[in-house]
Amino acid sequence: CHKVAVVREDKLEAMKSKLSTIASVHVYSIQKALLKDSSPLYNTDYDIIKTNLQHCSKFSAIRCAAAVPRTPPDAPRAPAQSPPRQRDPEATSVNGHGPRAAKPPPQQHRGIMGMFAAKAAAKAQDTPKEAKAEAKEAPGVSAASSKPPTKNSIMNNFFGKAAMNKLKANSVPEQPKEEKEVVKPSVAVAEPESSPNTIAEKPGKKTESARIQQKDKKSKMKRGDRSDDEEERDPENVKKKRKRIKQLLSDSSDEEDVPPSPTPEEERAPSPPPKPALKTELEPASTEVSAGGRKRKRKRVLKSKMFIDEEEGCM
Amino acid sequence: MFSEQAAPTAQGLLAPPTAEPPIFPRLAVAGYSDCSQPFQLGERSFSRQYAHIYAVRLATMRPGLEQRARGRWGNDIALRRLSELQEGEKCCVVGTLFKVMQLQPSILQEISEEHNLVPQPPLPKYIQPCDELMLEDELQRIKLEGAIDVQRLVTGTIVAVYGCEQDDGRFLVEDHCFADLPPPLPWSGPSSNRFVLLASGLGLGSVSGEALLSTQLLVDVVTGHLGAEGEQSCAAHITRVILAGNLLSQNTQSRDTINKAKYLTKKTQAASVEAVKMLDEILLQLCTSVPVDVMPGEFDPTNYTLPQQPLHRCMLPLASAYATLRLVTNPYQANLDGVRFLGTSGQNISDIFKYSSMDDYLEILEWTLLAGHISPTAPDTLGCYPFYKSDPFILTECPHVYFCGNAPHFQSKLLQGKEGQRVLLVTVPDFSATQTACLVNLRDLSCQPITFSSFGADSED
Repeated sequence: CHKVAVVREDKLEAMKSKLSTIASVHVYSIQKALLKDSSPLYNTDYDIIKTNLQHCSKFSAIRCAAAVPRTPPDAPRAPAQSPPRQRDPEATSVNGHGPRAAKPPPQQHRGIMGMFAAKAAAKAQDTPKEAKAEAKEAPGVSAASSKPPTKNSIMNNFFGKAAMNKLKANSVPEQPKEEKEVVKPSVAVAEPESSPNTIAEKPGKKTESARIQQKDKKSKMKRGDRSDDEEERDPENVKKKRKRIKQLLSDSSDEEDVPPSPTPEEERAPSPPPKPALKTELEPASTEVSAGGRKRKRKRVLKSKMFIDEEEGCM
Repeated sequence: MFSEQAAPTAQGLLAPPTAEPPIFPRLAVAGYSDCSQPFQLGERSFSRQYAHIYAVRLATMRPGLEQRARGRWGNDIALRRLSELQEGEKCCVVGTLFKVMQLQPSILQEISEEHNLVPQPPLPKYIQPCDELMLEDELQRIKLEGAIDVQRLVTGTIVAVYGCEQDDGRFLVEDHCFADLPPPLPWSGPSSNRFVLLASGLGLGSVSGEALLSTQLLVDVVTGHLGAEGEQSCAAHITRVILAGNLLSQNTQSRDTINKAKYLTKKTQAASVEAVKMLDEILLQLCTSVPVDVMPGEFDPTNYTLPQQPLHRCMLPLASAYATLRLVTNPYQANLDGVRFLGTSGQNISDIFKYSSMDDYLEILEWTLLAGHISPTAPDTLGCYPFYKSDPFILTECPHVYFCGNAPHFQSKLLQGKEGQRVLLVTVPDFSATQTACLVNLRDLSCQPITFSSFGADSED
């Protein structure tokens, strides 16, 4: 019987001793505080996947030659077509055309958002997966924030990511809704410019529009994508588990690959100005952190458990 | 098998990585052909009576049964129809079984006012000691008694009985036989390890989310996102994934619209909508990496009667963009790499479970194979399309892998037949309850369960 289990660090040895052959063991997740159950693991994973649906197998080691999308006549509802359709209703408030049109106005918004995002991201940076945000690392982030808009997404990603996790409610900067809509065209515009890589805009657009349409409360931002994670996992820091949040401090080359995605469009109703909200959210979070503060690793153990089940006569 | 191959590189991901991460191409399916055309209904018409199925079933299986009877009881036995029976003469009769059960739910009885019956709650089993067996052929029926296990058998089975008629009009059975294993198919399976993953009962849309992480782990193992390199290369040997039904959970079936007032339910969405979206995402992750066959089950949005038609492609917009997704019927039959698969989502087996004393799903599975029919209880207690030209559930060739989904636990057995048939019987467990799926190795027809677990609030492992 082949067993795949995610176990806590303290239970790892006990689990290993129960199994006959160990097929594989590696770190699955690292958090700052002890998790009661595995639902945050799943939730975070789910969000990442949702934002990267079109490229979910890009960084897997297995390549399937047969998995090619059908040609459009066979599959008229290819995902590529639906996002523009869905986005149009939203984009109308900004400009009558589709995505391509409004470049200049978005940019200044983007700048503003960039600052917010940078600030938020500053707080969020050292939150590994499930941890609480801490307000640190201003220098690193500010340096980053001065960079061109491509960075925004990352900042926002991290910010949003932290928001996702233990922070309650809107730990996300309440970006006014107009910004969000403005950003979208900007995002679309940016797409052709950004390096043609990985997380295409389409998934971003799609999830966005889907979100907006559904008034989904979850923050599904473009995180430091799964692609980057996977990439990081192998080449770099294997110890750092399969974390979604990429080391912000790591090379900008990776980050540049991530197109300036729509940012934290949290569908929270636009209310309080982002900054004060941000601070208040983060403060309770940081107190939580100091209370909790143990580093807990979660490892994933793939093992084989060979046992002979006498009554059933099968292995 | 799976584990031994992966073991050497078990600790690989606990050390700094090598320069180039390896890439494992997914083993391509050498030969795939879908043989489930008999189960695909084109234009459907429900204006026919169900009696025609039984007539066709008996007519199709009679020759085979007569041959078995001759082989078993001698070439010179008398084969009689019921109308030709003579008292005291030992003969063999081929007919359809009908079991008279008091507890069998009958809609006519329930709505009949003269009975004043309260509708019966569903029971796990409807058998009772006082049940009786009747044998029917095209024209007549006769009561059976004797060396025949009334509790074990179910309505709709074609059987050959050997005995004689008594003076009180009952048939005393001395021996009986079924159609036995169908003729074998030639074996042309692969020579290297190739795996097929069988899973069923994903149960999306249920209120509890415990199985969700396990489902995600399953997807990750198959797509190669989990495990050290050895494990990933083993996962690349999985050539197909078959999801055998009940992708949605039973919770999505409740329809508040019936019970609640309209103003309360007007804006609420059916639970299955959200569940199907989740299913679409999961299938998309799988389809980008491995061919997937999706069979509908009892709680899935397709027709209720057997054979269930494939889920419609428009429900799965993201995943159906990929050619690796195949939406197939229930029951499903296909040739994968030269190995013939035949399986259902479990409705046939669980229906027999309800009306028979057999308790073990594997035993019932084997029994259906020996009886030569996938679901004898259709259309009596299991919904079925009114066929009249042919009964597609009759087994004409012996498959190599015969599975049923949504079983309570995992069981598997390799059955050897007298004519050289080799069948792997697999009961695929319900994933939402057991977090177990099955890996079938096509090379040697062996099967291994694979379990997923996470840690819960209480620190059990």
